[in-house]
Amino acid sequence: MLTPLYVEIAKLKRSLALALAGLAPGLIAVFAFFSALRMDEARPWEMWMMQGAGIWAFFMLPMSVTALTALVAHMEHGPKSWDHLRALPVPRWRLYAAKAVCVLGLVAIMSVLVPTLTWAALETAAAIKPVVRPTGVIDWTGVAVVLGRMYLAALLLTAIQLWVALRFASFVPALSVGIGGTFFAVVATSAKQGVFLPWQMPVNMLATETWRWQTALALGCGVGLLVLILMLISLSRREVR
Amino acid sequence: MSSALETHALTRRFGRVLAVDGVSMTVPKQAVYGFLGRNGAGKTTTLKMLLGLLRPSEGRALVDGIDVATNRIAAARKVGALLEAHGFYANLSGRENMDLTRRLLGLPKTEIDRVLAVVEMTGDASRRVGGYSLGMRQRLGLARAMLGAPPVLILDEPTNGLDPDGIADMRRFLRDLPGKTGATVLLSSHLLGEIEQTASHVGVVHAGRLVLEGELTTLRAGVAAQIAVRATDAKAALSLVRAKGLKAETRDGEVVATLKPGQAAEPACADLNRALVQAGIDVVAIGPRARSLEGLYRQVTAVEAWKEAA
Repeated sequence: MLTPLYVEIAKLKRSLALALAGLAPGLIAVFAFFSALRMDEARPWEMWMMQGAGIWAFFMLPMSVTALTALVAHMEHGPKSWDHLRALPVPRWRLYAAKAVCVLGLVAIMSVLVPTLTWAALETAAAIKPVVRPTGVIDWTGVAVVLGRMYLAALLLTAIQLWVALRFASFVPALSVGIGGTFFAVVATSAKQGVFLPWQMPVNMLATETWRWQTALALGCGVGLLVLILMLISLSRREVR
Repeated sequence: MSSALETHALTRRFGRVLAVDGVSMTVPKQAVYGFLGRNGAGKTTTLKMLLGLLRPSEGRALVDGIDVATNRIAAARKVGALLEAHGFYANLSGRENMDLTRRLLGLPKTEIDRVLAVVEMTGDASRRVGGYSLGMRQRLGLARAMLGAPPVLILDEPTNGLDPDGIADMRRFLRDLPGKTGATVLLSSHLLGEIEQTASHVGVVHAGRLVLEGELTTLRAGVAAQIAVRATDAKAALSLVRAKGLKAETRDGEVVATLKPGQAAEPACADLNRALVQAGIDVVAIGPRARSLEGLYRQVTAVEAWKEAA
């Protein structure tokens, strides 16, 4: 299993997928940097960190997963390398499992980069304009818990996006599902039923009602793992023409 | 077990379309087997079933006696393949691309240098594949197929994109491969000349069916002899040849006469020359035509087309 995973990681070298993994959290940091420079007074670190996590969960995470899974899948669809890979004496489920682990690893790295780059951006802004230096201390454990929950709650949407992206050679189905899912997650923000929408599950980790974040976490993580297993079975068995 | 690849009544349907229809082929060990047919005849579908990429609707495909459907991984260990789509990652160098497959096959690093040297790609291996010509990708694809020296190579249109020198090199390389390494080559192509100059055995597929198979020299011997006549008055020459009871047609300004089965070419040639001169037709050139795969191919596909029409 480690060899297919190494191969997947090696494929990322000089790839757009890897660039995206740095760019998406970077955009949140850039936004925090310019927001801080526009202010005339300091805000607490906690507020900045929760703002970054909110943007990440609400919009950037589902959109990044949509783009990331499409790019990772297109690395095989583009040059039509499935025939070569699937003709090798390697169990096919391992090829797809390695791809899934690789995507989940990239999303985890992006989740770590969100607070790290936000911190770096705000430190830079404070060096330029000392009056906006954030107050208090960063509760790194609290930040890690929230972003960790968001990551786990995003398993379902990641599994769905990856399945669609690997199943169809065209970008269109994966982008349509991702953009559509994110759109409905945004417009259904206040709806109670939103907790059942995969693209809204990560943002529910910021909810104050316990039932809400617990339901979203359990569904996102549990059903996400189930969907990943079903994806492996389905993709390994199907023919690629 | 003397055959490297075998299929038994191999059939594949795509919905209502019958792409491969009961193909039973045998590729002997250490043969260069030319798998010939028009585009859409069913060649690639057959190859994909041999590689376990498509499931047969009916029948079996065996690699070195191993059933591909029931033991794909064991069968895949015996095969290296070059498919129409190379599947290289443009963001990686040639060597990096090779390394991905090498790792998946569990081979030592030195194997990459060996196969790159065989296809003379060592110098370009550090360049990104995105900047490669089609011919370079083709050679790199062949090198990748040879990783681990598999006993069977399945090559789909291997000379695609190669320049004339590259084509000649590839033909020579494939012809010599069984002698040098003991490998068996299944070579798919729609180019008669390519198969004729490379293969020891041939299988012709037409509309999904295998209509001819055998050793090339044996098959050639079965083709009716032909005489080619270049005369100043081709029309008159054609009439005279036909008047002598031979089938004839004009091809590229030549009258091509097909002799009767068993009729020897050289005496018939002399006889025809005499008749033409006596009839006052100036003969520019006359001689027996080489028994070609093209003639054989035309015969069998014409028969098949006639059967379909009937």
